[in-house]
Amino acid sequence: MTRKTLTNLVLALAMLLTMLGAASAAPPAQEEMTYTVKLGDNLWTLAEKYLGSGPAYWAIVGATNTRHGTDPTFARIENPDLIHPGWKLLIPSAEEAARYAALAKPVPTGLVTMRVGTTYILDTINVNVSWTSWSIWRLIYDALIETSALGVYRPGLAESWSVSDDGLTWTFKIRKGVTFHDGTPCTAEDVAWSLNWMKTVGNDSLSYLWDDETEEIVALDDTTLQIKTPFPVGNMEYRMFWAFIVPKSVWGGIDNYDDMAAYTELDAATGTGPFKVVDYAPDEYLILEANENYWGGKPAIDRLIFQQYATEDAMVQALLAGEIDVIEGVPATAVQTLQEAENIHVEILQGHAVDELSINSHENGTQPPSLNDPIVRLAIEYAIDRQKIIDVAYMGFGTPATTMIAPSLGDWHNSEIEAIPFDPDEGNRILDEAGYLDTDGDGIREWSDGSPMKYRLMGGDTATDARVLEIIADGLAQIGIGTEINAVDFETQSAKAYEFDFDLNYWWWGMDIDPDFAMVIFKCEEREGWGWNPNGYCNPEFEELYKQQARAVDHEERRKIIWKMQEMIYNDRPWIVLLYRVNIAAYRSDRFTGFRPEAKYLLGKWSLMHVEPLV
Amino acid sequence: MQRSDYLIRKAFWALITLVVVIVFNFFLFRILPGDPVRALIQSARMDREAQERIRTQFGLDKPIWLDVERLRQGDIKGALDTQFTAYVSNLLRGNLGVSFTKKMPVSKLLAERVWRTVVLLALGEVISIVLGIILGIVASWRRGSKLDTGIMMWGLFTWSIPTFFFGIILVILARGHLPTGMMVTPGLKPEDGLTYWLDVGKHLILPTITLGIGYVSMYMMVMRSSVVEVLSEDYILTAKAKGLSTFRILRDHALKNAMLPMITNIMLTLGYTVGGAIQVETVFSWPGIGRLIYDAVGKQDFPVLQGAFLLIAASVIGANFLADLLYSVLDPRVKAE
Repeated sequence: MTRKTLTNLVLALAMLLTMLGAASAAPPAQEEMTYTVKLGDNLWTLAEKYLGSGPAYWAIVGATNTRHGTDPTFARIENPDLIHPGWKLLIPSAEEAARYAALAKPVPTGLVTMRVGTTYILDTINVNVSWTSWSIWRLIYDALIETSALGVYRPGLAESWSVSDDGLTWTFKIRKGVTFHDGTPCTAEDVAWSLNWMKTVGNDSLSYLWDDETEEIVALDDTTLQIKTPFPVGNMEYRMFWAFIVPKSVWGGIDNYDDMAAYTELDAATGTGPFKVVDYAPDEYLILEANENYWGGKPAIDRLIFQQYATEDAMVQALLAGEIDVIEGVPATAVQTLQEAENIHVEILQGHAVDELSINSHENGTQPPSLNDPIVRLAIEYAIDRQKIIDVAYMGFGTPATTMIAPSLGDWHNSEIEAIPFDPDEGNRILDEAGYLDTDGDGIREWSDGSPMKYRLMGGDTATDARVLEIIADGLAQIGIGTEINAVDFETQSAKAYEFDFDLNYWWWGMDIDPDFAMVIFKCEEREGWGWNPNGYCNPEFEELYKQQARAVDHEERRKIIWKMQEMIYNDRPWIVLLYRVNIAAYRSDRFTGFRPEAKYLLGKWSLMHVEPLV
Repeated sequence: MQRSDYLIRKAFWALITLVVVIVFNFFLFRILPGDPVRALIQSARMDREAQERIRTQFGLDKPIWLDVERLRQGDIKGALDTQFTAYVSNLLRGNLGVSFTKKMPVSKLLAERVWRTVVLLALGEVISIVLGIILGIVASWRRGSKLDTGIMMWGLFTWSIPTFFFGIILVILARGHLPTGMMVTPGLKPEDGLTYWLDVGKHLILPTITLGIGYVSMYMMVMRSSVVEVLSEDYILTAKAKGLSTFRILRDHALKNAMLPMITNIMLTLGYTVGGAIQVETVFSWPGIGRLIYDAVGKQDFPVLQGAFLLIAASVIGANFLADLLYSVLDPRVKAE
C-alpha cells in the first residue's frame, strides 16, 4: 500500500469517525482545539504536548486535513515534515486521536524483525569506553537533546531548555515518567547523577565535553536540571547531545575509571532509548528489542538485529539474497547492482566527512618557501578538477566542496564562500603575472628565488587515493607545477603529517554535527603533542575567533563567527577542501517503508521510530 | 642414537623456536610506524587527558624495551620497567594482556574463537587431504592419460585462484540457497541443541569448500609424484609379477612408502592454512582467529596480534614436533640416524 492510498483511507475513515464521534454522547477526555503554528514547531512535539505521544502526530494530520475539506482556513498538510508558521491546525480530542493512531498504523501479525548488515557492530558493550558505532548506541541511550537532519536540535530526555541572560546557567525540563530498561526511574535527579558520574569517573569519548566547562550539575526537582558553567559555553546543546544518560542502578557502585572500563556484562548497555539489548556476540551480532515503555512510543519494529560482516561485498550479497533487510556503508561500486535489483532501494545520504588537500603551513615545516605564497596556493586550487575526482575516484558519489563544514551541518556551512572553479588558464595567468615563469623550459615554473616549483604530493595507499593523487598531479602539471607522488600507508602518512614533513597531503576527515572540531584542526596548540592539527596553520586572529565562538551562546552570533573562520581558512588555504563525501545505504523496499534519513544515517533514532513493516 | 635422545633434541629445538617467536612477536608489531592510540581513536571528542589515560592503562607510556635515560643514571630496575619486560612477565604468568579495542582479556578472546577456526580448518583439511590422496593416486596410476592431464589441469587451476576470489564467486553462486556469511543465525545458542549445530553446519559449507578446494591440488601433486616414484621401484615390479591386483599393489606396497612425504607436507601446510583461514574467515565473516587478526592489524591491537601469533606459532611448532614423532614411528631409518 502506498503512502497516498493509506492517507486517503485514513481520511475517509476519519470523516466517518468524526460523524460517529459527533453523534456519540461520550465526552472526550480532552477537547479538540485549533492551534496556530509558530516558528520552530514540529508535528511530533505538538503531538507530544497535546496528545501525549510523538507518533500521534498522524492524528493531527488526519484531523486537520479532514477539517480543511469543510473549512479551508485550516491547513492542508501534504508532508508531515513540513509545516509553516501561521498555519491553522486542528488538534483532535484524545479519544479521537487514539482512533487515528489505530488506523494509521497497520498492526502486523507476529513479531516484526529487521536485520541490518554492518561492517562493525560494537567494539565493546560498555558505552563509556566505546569508540565507535554511535548510531547504534543512540538507539539504546537517550541524551537530553537529540538531533534531526541538518544539525537542528530537537528535544530528547529534555522537553525544553533555556539559558540565562548571562549565558552561565542552563535549565533543562526533564520528561516525566521515563524509565531505564531495567525499570528504574530516570528523573532529573538521575540525569544529574549520570552527568556527574561520567565527569568524575571519566569517559573516553565524551571527555572532550567536560574539560572545565561545567561547574555544577544539579536537579532542582524531579523535572528540572540545572547546569552552571564558569563561562558561557557556545555549544552546550552539542555537549548534551553526546552525554548519554546511564543508570545509577548499573554504575552506582563503580567510582573509578579502571573498574568502569573493565565492566563488560550485558547490563552495561542499559539506557532509556527505544531499543534495549537482549543479546550480544562480539564480532557476530547484536540483538535489540523494542522498548515497550519508550516515552516516544514503542517502535513498530520488535526485534532489530545487527549482523557484522567482514567485507562490504559479502554484505551486499546478503542483501541481494534477502538474508538481511538494510545495509549501511554500501561501497560505491555496488550501487549500480543494487539499483538494478528488484525490491531494493538505494539511499544516498549527505555526509559530514570532507576530503582535503593540506598545504603545509607550519613555519618550521619542510615545505619550500614558494608554497607559503598565497598566489601559488590560489593557483593550485585553480588546477584542481573536483568534479573529475568525484567522477573517477568516487564513481560520481560526492559533492564538490568549498569549506571544511559540509552543507549537511545546516547553517554552520558558510554558503557565501565562492567555489574556485577548475580553471588552469586562470592559474597560469596569475602565476605568469606574479613572474613565476618556466625559465629553463623543463615544463616546471621557477619561483622568485629560482627554485623549481615541484612539490611532494603525499596520500594514502588505497586505489581511491591513487586516482585522486593522479588527478591532482595532472592538474598541477597543466599550470607548470611539478609533483612527486608519495603514496604511503596510513601510519606513515600520519607520522609525516604530524611532523610537518610534507608539501601537499591528501586525506579526509570525519566531522561531527557541531562546527567546533572543524575549527580545532587549525589551532596552534593542536600542532603539539597528541593534537589534531596536521596542517601547521597557526593564526592569532583565528585563535581569537575560536575563543569567541566557544563562548557565543547565541546561535546567530556564533554562526557569524564560524562563517568568518571558514572564510579565513578559505583565504589562507592551509586546506583546499575537495569534496563532501556521501554515505550510501540500501534497504529491502518490499519489506520496510517509512525511513527518515538523517544527515548521515538511514537508521537514526528518528528514522527507526517511523519505519513500518510492509505486511 | 637412542630414540629418547632424538626426542629430547627435537623438543629442545621446538622450545628454542618458541622463545624466539615470543621475542620476535613483540618487536614485529612495534616496528610498524604510527601510534596505536592514534589509530584507535575514531572520535575527535577524546581529549589529551583521555588519550594519556589510555596510554597509561595499556602501558604504552613506557619505553619499548629499555629506558636508556634511567640506565645512564644507574637505575637498572627503572631502566627495565618497559613494555617488553611487562610483556614477558605477564606471559610467564599466562597473561596475554587486554585487547586495546575490545577491552577484553586476549586469552578470553582467543579461547572463544579458537575452536571455530579449528573446526573450519580441520574440515577443510580433511576434505583436501582425502580428495588429494585419492586424486593423486588415480592420476599417478593413469600417468600420461587424458584423465591424468585433466586432473593436473584442474589442480593447477584451483591452486592458482586466490582464496578470497574463489570465496566471493561461491557466495554469488550459492546466494539464496546457502548462508553467505556469519557462523550462526543470530540468536541461536549451543543450548538450542541440534537446531544450533545444523545451523552452524549450514554456515560451514561454503567456507569449508573454499578452503578444501584451495588446498586439494597441493596434496594431490605431492601424492601423485611420490606414488609415481614408488611405482617405478623394483619391488612394485615384483609385486606385479606375483600377480597381485592393482588395489593390493597400491595399498600394501605403494601407499605406505608414498605416505611419508605426505605427512611432512600436511604438517608443514598447517602454517599456511592459518593464512588461508584469515582470507576465508574474512570473506565469509566467520568469527574465528583469522578475523580477529584481520581486525587487529588494522587497529594496531598489539596484545591481540601477539596472542594470536603466539598461538599460531605454538601450534605450527607443535605440529612439526608431532611430525617428527610420527616419523620416528613410521620410518625406522630416522631412529638409526
